[in-house]
Amino acid sequence: MLGFSNQSLTNFLFWLTQKKWFLITMVIGLILFFLPSPAGLTLTGYRTIIIVITALMMIITEPIPLPAIAMYILVMEVYFGIGSANEIAESFMNDAVFFIMGSLMLAVAIVKQGWDTRIALGIIKLTGNKTSNIVFGFTAISAILSSFIGEHTVAAIMLPIAMTLIRFTSSDPNKVSNLSAVLLFSIAYGCLVGSIGTPSGGGRNAIMISYFRDANLSISYIDWMIKIYPMVLIQIPIVAWILQKSFIPEYSQLDSGVRKLAIQVAKSRKMTGRNTVAALIFFLVFLGWVFFSESIGLGTIALTGVLAYMIGGFVRWEDLNRNTHWGVIILFGATVSLGVNIKATGAANWLANQVINLFGELMETFPFVSDAIVVLMTTTLANVLSSSATVAVLGPVTLNIGSDPMHSGLVTAIASAFGYFTAVAAPACTIVYSSGMVKAVDFLKVGWKVGIMSMILLVIYVNTYWLFIN
Amino acid sequence: MKILIAVSSKEYSGPTLQVGIKVAKAFNASTTIVDVGEKISEFSTKAVGLARERMESWDFDRPGIEVLEWAFSYLAEKNFIEPQHIEAGFPKNTFVDRDGRRGELYLKGTVCDNVNLILRNGDIIAELRDEVQTEMYDVTIIGGSGERRMAHDMVQYIDSSIFIVKNFDPSQDYRILLAVDDSPGTSRAIKYGARVAQAFNIGVDILTVSKNEEFRDGYKGAAHRAAKFLRRSGIDAKNIFKVGDPSDTIVEIATNNHIIIMGASTRSPLKKFFIGSKPLDVMENCSCPILIVK
Repeated sequence: MLGFSNQSLTNFLFWLTQKKWFLITMVIGLILFFLPSPAGLTLTGYRTIIIVITALMMIITEPIPLPAIAMYILVMEVYFGIGSANEIAESFMNDAVFFIMGSLMLAVAIVKQGWDTRIALGIIKLTGNKTSNIVFGFTAISAILSSFIGEHTVAAIMLPIAMTLIRFTSSDPNKVSNLSAVLLFSIAYGCLVGSIGTPSGGGRNAIMISYFRDANLSISYIDWMIKIYPMVLIQIPIVAWILQKSFIPEYSQLDSGVRKLAIQVAKSRKMTGRNTVAALIFFLVFLGWVFFSESIGLGTIALTGVLAYMIGGFVRWEDLNRNTHWGVIILFGATVSLGVNIKATGAANWLANQVINLFGELMETFPFVSDAIVVLMTTTLANVLSSSATVAVLGPVTLNIGSDPMHSGLVTAIASAFGYFTAVAAPACTIVYSSGMVKAVDFLKVGWKVGIMSMILLVIYVNTYWLFIN
Repeated sequence: MKILIAVSSKEYSGPTLQVGIKVAKAFNASTTIVDVGEKISEFSTKAVGLARERMESWDFDRPGIEVLEWAFSYLAEKNFIEPQHIEAGFPKNTFVDRDGRRGELYLKGTVCDNVNLILRNGDIIAELRDEVQTEMYDVTIIGGSGERRMAHDMVQYIDSSIFIVKNFDPSQDYRILLAVDDSPGTSRAIKYGARVAQAFNIGVDILTVSKNEEFRDGYKGAAHRAAKFLRRSGIDAKNIFKVGDPSDTIVEIATNNHIIIMGASTRSPLKKFFIGSKPLDVMENCSCPILIVK
């Protein structure tokens, strides 16, 4: 037909089926483009919202590679006249993006140090053989570590420890399916619970801090911890309890698994001076975050740590390069750029006003309603796309909801960690899912309980404890 | 001749493997067993890679490897393949990742000529299509899937003959139902039919369906050619002539004790996409294994 061979027609049809979400997105984008912009919203503001909608649809369905979506955002912002080419390029990079880059690279450096056997030893020394204690230990250690070194690092380190316990309890996966679920979810959910605890717990926190800075607000590392860490500590036992009620483990004692783990640890190399220095570098990075992040930025300090690891020869550039997803970093840059422009074009204000118009009376009568709305919006979005992207895009809007931008901003950052419902929401969840030992449906099965608990707890927490400490 | 067998899990892939390896032997073909793991969100590919590196340092295989390992030992146990154990082999299962999407698995201490193990990650149709295109397989063998969309996409986009092993019960007696007509695909289908019949040591029912009472010369010719070819190959063959809708009739006669073999449609890809084709209709509605010869 028309000179096209059957082969090229087949190729074209295949392309169509693979890219159908891209085409659907473009059609929706075009329809929106030709609709008049809503009253009270500038033309550039409306066009920014069109880019946000189409970009989010593509991030969720992934019809084209993530860096391609980043480029789409970039070129559309220029074509739509939202900013000049240079302004858009500048909006792509800030300290938060550097922080994401730095923490992804720190993860590689840390995971390569082989601290997993030390952590394994620590856990079993603390918990003993009892399954319920081990589940609590896994949740608590994952949460506390991920507050400081990032959730994907912790999940990668903890996964083999859990696998050892599971495989050496029974080699038949069907006999330990609940045990697998309970241990793996304690890692994933522990990481999520902990990641809210400090500004360096995740890229999303760093993005929120950069938005605070743009709005001339500031929060120190310690203040963040004072405000939020108790929430981490409250959630740990509740999550461990919900997990054990949802997946009743087949074994109440894990004798053979724990024994095997002890043998594995004994076989591994002893801690060397080099390992100690590597740990010390990380500790210095942590101190840097605590004392200097307000003045020189989280990203600068993270990259200083990476620099030190490279100078010290703790990690090779090839390893960093191979294990760092540059495409994802560019995409985070693009979502930050979108966030900046949502604010600059007035779209953020307009969107926030729509929410206030809808729920304004309720929000005035019951102050916690605005928190509930922010939590609901953020959690929903965070479960279908990356949590950092959620904060990047939603942050500028939620800062305008409620009377105190700092309050709503922190609530947004916390709620963006509630990616319990799906296997794709958070890297920690994807990591345990990729072990093949838990099913996608399990995330929904237990996620809704943990999710609803966390959402309600957060609304109560910020309306009681925060009032108290203020 | 190269054959690709796609496996998914231990629970469902036994029959697919048995049928696949028998067909491969009939054609004296080299066999590749592939497992396509789930697509990982691009946000987390590197994090998952990092976690897998850790897992490997603790001697845990990545998911998918145990399915391939099981498939290999399943075939060895049933004496379909003869693996050799060699001292100088790999000390543990070794996975050679080519580009993050496709990798080759070498099992510990074992080699077997003519059997390759491949692990891929991603959308199943896209991965199988890529595998078939780059490695040029002649037949792709896959277990039956309940999903209509998947069957459609297999027939539409996989550029090889396709054997869907639907509801195969190794203990049951089967016959082959060879559907012939005057289309150019028929002669290849006859050849494949003969080989498969020999491999399973079963007879062939040659089915010719005409839409009207008058059977065209091309139809009759194809039926007689097929019978002659099969009998010469020492296969028990009998002709069946039916009037009716071809797809419905094939499904009706096949019930669940036949293996259907028919030529691929020669319709243009656009027509196949929007209207469908005879093989696709049959594949969607039959409840037995079916081989569509391209």
